[in-house]
Amino acid sequence: MLEAINLAKDYPTPRGALSVLSGISLRLSRGDAVAITGPSGSGKSTLLHILGALDTPSSGSVTLDGANPFELDEKELAAFRNEKVGFVFQDHCLLPQCSVLENVLVPTLVSQLANHHTERARKLLDQVGLTERIEHRPAELSGGEKQRVALARALINDPVLLLCDEPTGNLDRKSAETVASLLLELHALQKTILVVVTHSAELAARFPVRYEMVEQGIRQV
Amino acid sequence: MRLSTLLSRNLIYFWRSNVAVVLGVATAVAVLAGALLVGDSVRGSLRDLFVQRLGKTDEVIAATSFFREKLADELQADPRFVEAFSGACPLIVLNGLVIDEKSGRRASSVQVYGVDDRFWKFHGFAGVVRAPTEREVLLSPDLARELGTEAGQTTLLRIEKPSAIPAGSLHGRKDDLGRTIRLTFREALAASYLGEFSLRPSQGAVRAIFVSLARLQKDLELAGKANTILVADKTPPGDRTTTSPVVIAGILKDTFSLEDLGVKLRVLDRERGVALESETAIISDALNAGAVDAAAKANLSVVPILSYLANGIRLGERDVPYSVVTAIDAEAFEAMSRRYGGGLRDQTVSALPRIVLNEWAASDLGAKRGDLITLEYYLWEDEGRLRTESARFMLDAIVPLNDRGVDRDLVPDYPGLTETENIADWDPPFPVDLKRVRTKDEDYWHKYRTTPKAFIQLDTGIKLWQSRHGKFTSLRVRALDGGDPQPRVGSFKQSLRAALDPIEMGVSISSVRTEGLEASQGATDFGEYFVYFSFFLVVGALLLASLFFKLGIEQRLREIGTLRAVGFSASVVRSLFLREGLALATVGSVLGVIGAIGYGALIMYGLRTWWVGAVGTTTLSLHVSALSLLLGGAGGIVVALLCVIWTLRTLKRSSPRSLLTGSLDAAMQSDSPRPRVWSPRLLSVVFTSAGATLLVAASLNRIGKTAGFFGAGAMLLAALLCFEYGWLKGKARSLIGGSGWWPVARLGLRNATYRPGRSILCIALIASAAFIIVAVDAFKRDNSDATLEKKSGNGGFPLLAEALLPLYHDPNTSEGKEALSLVAQKGIDPESVSFTGFRVRPGDDASCLNLYQPRNPRILGASNAFIQSGRFLFQESLAQTTEEKENPWVLLDRELTDGAIPVIADANSMTYVLHRQLGDEIVVSRTNSESVRLRLVAALADSIFQSELLMSDENFLRLFPEQGGYSFFLLEAAPEATSVAAAVLEEQLADFGFDVISTSERLASFHRVENTYLSTFQTLGGLGLVLGSFGLATVLLRNVLERRRELALLRAIGYNSGHFALMVIAENAFLVSCGLVTGSLCALVAIGPAFVSRGGHVPALSVWLLLSVFVTGLFASLAATVAALRTPLLPALRAE
Repeated sequence: MLEAINLAKDYPTPRGALSVLSGISLRLSRGDAVAITGPSGSGKSTLLHILGALDTPSSGSVTLDGANPFELDEKELAAFRNEKVGFVFQDHCLLPQCSVLENVLVPTLVSQLANHHTERARKLLDQVGLTERIEHRPAELSGGEKQRVALARALINDPVLLLCDEPTGNLDRKSAETVASLLLELHALQKTILVVVTHSAELAARFPVRYEMVEQGIRQV
Repeated sequence: MRLSTLLSRNLIYFWRSNVAVVLGVATAVAVLAGALLVGDSVRGSLRDLFVQRLGKTDEVIAATSFFREKLADELQADPRFVEAFSGACPLIVLNGLVIDEKSGRRASSVQVYGVDDRFWKFHGFAGVVRAPTEREVLLSPDLARELGTEAGQTTLLRIEKPSAIPAGSLHGRKDDLGRTIRLTFREALAASYLGEFSLRPSQGAVRAIFVSLARLQKDLELAGKANTILVADKTPPGDRTTTSPVVIAGILKDTFSLEDLGVKLRVLDRERGVALESETAIISDALNAGAVDAAAKANLSVVPILSYLANGIRLGERDVPYSVVTAIDAEAFEAMSRRYGGGLRDQTVSALPRIVLNEWAASDLGAKRGDLITLEYYLWEDEGRLRTESARFMLDAIVPLNDRGVDRDLVPDYPGLTETENIADWDPPFPVDLKRVRTKDEDYWHKYRTTPKAFIQLDTGIKLWQSRHGKFTSLRVRALDGGDPQPRVGSFKQSLRAALDPIEMGVSISSVRTEGLEASQGATDFGEYFVYFSFFLVVGALLLASLFFKLGIEQRLREIGTLRAVGFSASVVRSLFLREGLALATVGSVLGVIGAIGYGALIMYGLRTWWVGAVGTTTLSLHVSALSLLLGGAGGIVVALLCVIWTLRTLKRSSPRSLLTGSLDAAMQSDSPRPRVWSPRLLSVVFTSAGATLLVAASLNRIGKTAGFFGAGAMLLAALLCFEYGWLKGKARSLIGGSGWWPVARLGLRNATYRPGRSILCIALIASAAFIIVAVDAFKRDNSDATLEKKSGNGGFPLLAEALLPLYHDPNTSEGKEALSLVAQKGIDPESVSFTGFRVRPGDDASCLNLYQPRNPRILGASNAFIQSGRFLFQESLAQTTEEKENPWVLLDRELTDGAIPVIADANSMTYVLHRQLGDEIVVSRTNSESVRLRLVAALADSIFQSELLMSDENFLRLFPEQGGYSFFLLEAAPEATSVAAAVLEEQLADFGFDVISTSERLASFHRVENTYLSTFQTLGGLGLVLGSFGLATVLLRNVLERRRELALLRAIGYNSGHFALMVIAENAFLVSCGLVTGSLCALVAIGPAFVSRGGHVPALSVWLLLSVFVTGLFASLAATVAALRTPLLPALRAE
């Protein structure tokens, strides 16, 4: 279970603290899939980063399956993210020097989890429709394919939480459709907690639960 | 807004990367111009040192014998001298050995100057320095320090006692060559007051001693005599002409007296005429020719005479001991014979030459005409042995003692002989058995002195007794018309003076300043060497500058794309960047010029301290030359611009669309790709093939081994780099899977393939520097494994010795040992030591120990026995016959059709100091100012003969007859006794200034210089490696910054700082290791022969240097690791 309680985030500026988030609380269970929308600068990405323990809140707490990542040291936090969280970003962030399969396997290299990663990676790539492309380099893929690789990479360690930041933001309509379908299909299969931040109303519409960022807060639509 | 405004905005905005480019160019220029400054500085320092030591001297008049010191005054009185010269100063210049009596410390090879106040007046220090008086002595600072002497202490000076009679002739003194003078040390004379006065350029410490001229003249029994005159030109230094020696020669010819040349004229009487003799007791060919010429002009005739001391005149058992026998010309002999019953008719009786005895001798022997008379006499062999010979004659006539031909004045003065009252008082330089001398012999001596007891024909006498110094002992000048020659003596003297050329008679005039300044150009162009040595520093700095410039461009791809999109043509964009490059290169160059002065100063400091072994002096200082700075600066700008142009070439094919993506991959990809003919792998194969071809050719001796193996090593280096580049670019990789440190490290390794160009640049830089470091190390000489092989650099001789006073006796013979007082001592039997002597013609050191250009190299005369022994190892030769190939020494006996003299030199000296190759000639001047062409016919490999040239004894004696005896020795002794033998010989031959050192020590002194050069090369190569490491760090850092989003993602998905460090270190270690292994491997191929010949020892320094480079390289990863960890996570992950 993902539980965020009364989250707030301020950024110091020369003119005083700038509040981006305030009083945000969420409670999501395995199998939940939510989309968060909102205008630019509303703090949705900040919220996503805090949920994924990439950023720390100014106040409030986050727990995932009862564990508070912000109490962990650097090493433990890295391991926490590696094992519990999967990320998909707007820019795929694939390693250009590695093949598609290797890119999917990248998180497993530092994983303490059980082996058979390669088998799982192949399976995931099969699930995202890239079986024929596993030896290819990122430079040889289309944008949609790259994002599918990124999705497979995010799921390789079977995370509890899958966080996606504008996963279709750089894609054309068709590719975006494909990626969105895959995202929901795989979520259904893996039973993760899926949180997607998006500008896209079409993508958000496909989620059963949707939140909208309002001024310093969040409300369910 | 103009383009120049944009340019200035760019320069300011991107100041970080621009500063890096400027620093790279500045470093390259500083190193390049600094290296050139080193050359200027060494040359300038050598020039300054020489000029300071020379004082005001421009020319030097020197003679093998002594002349009147008044000659200097007479020269100065000549109007031509007054017009061209500002002064002349007579002095005595000798070599000596100095001993501090209190401490017993000795110093050999000391320049001894007999001077008075005129010396310091000549140099402009009149009244500033007080000349030594009586027994006072002044020392050069270095000599005073070496001896540790203090004012008032006794200094013993041992010098060669000059002898007019050549020591290498029968009557020359061989056992009393030296003289020791007791002096009192007054002070060490500062260099600025000519305390380091020296006529010969040398950068080393000066051992000079200044003694009162009058004292020296008195002790040498040469009152009023000198052997050197210093001359100062009137013209300022820049306006010197080369005609000064010619002008001096002209004045000298009109000024000298016959006495200055040791020529004596004794007016006898009307009948006997005038006796012309030389102080040398031998008439040289030049004097004979001059006398004949002068006599003809004065209507006089010249009759040559050769008198010799016979040990015995024998008839049967009867013997007349120690008698003068005179050889007279055929006409006089026949006349004498005819007067007393002999004559041509008897010639048919016997084929023996005829002899005429005076009546005293005939009576003593009981001889009558027709008897067989035997003459027994000594001959002095050039090898240093006295041989007793005999010749048989038929008695032709007996001449009464009152005959006009029986003349006591036929014999010149022989010191120790002719001036004695009794035969018993004789002190000749050869053994005399006084037991054989009878009362009647003493009576004869009292009554008739040197009156010859026998006469033979001149031709016969020449055959028996001529030497390389001359054929006659005196000349008799008579009037052609039989009249009294005395009134014509004056005109004969004048004619003789006119006919004799002092230069041909052993006087030399040399432009010491001109020659020394030319020599100051140096045997080694340090500027050139340091440009080579600093090569990797320059290349490294330029690569770094290029790299920074390239990175700067890559950073601005979007900007370039925008400019293109808004209408800038590709050429305008390139021009903009080129101008940026020019501006940066110019600023870098200006900074570099300033840095060059610092770099030059640092290198000069290094040469005075860390690398002093290469130069042997601490007197070198920085000399800044505007030309070198300009050349270095301009060179830096040009090369930097070429690098910029090379970098910009990739933008040519990029479209605005690809540039706008900001993606380097997209931008660098041609929109219209051209097919690549030369793939890296193909190039690798080509280079490998070329290397293999060179290896085979070198192995089959088709090309030089060094060139072949080095070429092969370089080709292999290129091949491996191409292969590695191909591998880095390639796509076939094994899967990175699993978990733990190894897959993470592999991911780091895979990063090296991210920008293959950058990676290979780092590898190439490190590999090239490693190549140099390892290859150079192999050429370092190790003295520890020197063996006493006959075919080696020491020829199998464990010791070598040099003597201040030449040894005329052969120390290998029992007579020689006795004459030299060599006796068994400390368990060393002189019989167990074998001497191989060499004649020495002093000259400039031709080895790497001398920084000045050797003008007249030292020459050794090698005996036939040594030549035939075939010792030492040769590097190359002009041998053609089997015998010559087996023993190239015999090439010294080859008669060259064009008159050149064959000589052998050490290969190192020949190549790096004399800058010659086999077949080239070296022209040296002789005492009589004639030049001799010496042709190099063979080169020794790493030998002890690096300071000199070697020629055959035969040629040596012909060319340099004035050089008698042996001064250089190679010694053989039992290996376990060499050090004791050296000490014993030094002690027993101390009077000769005998200095023994081990041949390994001599070789080590040469190796020290060579090794220091190599260390310098390695050090600067190592600095190049450091720059390479900086480049590596830059590349890694740049890669990290470029991939910050990927790295951020890795952090997001669970990679911690340890993983990052592992990845960066793995990548770095991979690149460094690739470079080190590639460079070292290729270097091992290149140095294969040298490596094997030295027993395959691992060059320790290389290993340490390479290890330290590896560690430094790993430290370089720290910056990248820190950068990777400091990359802000969230901004990097944001897509926008």
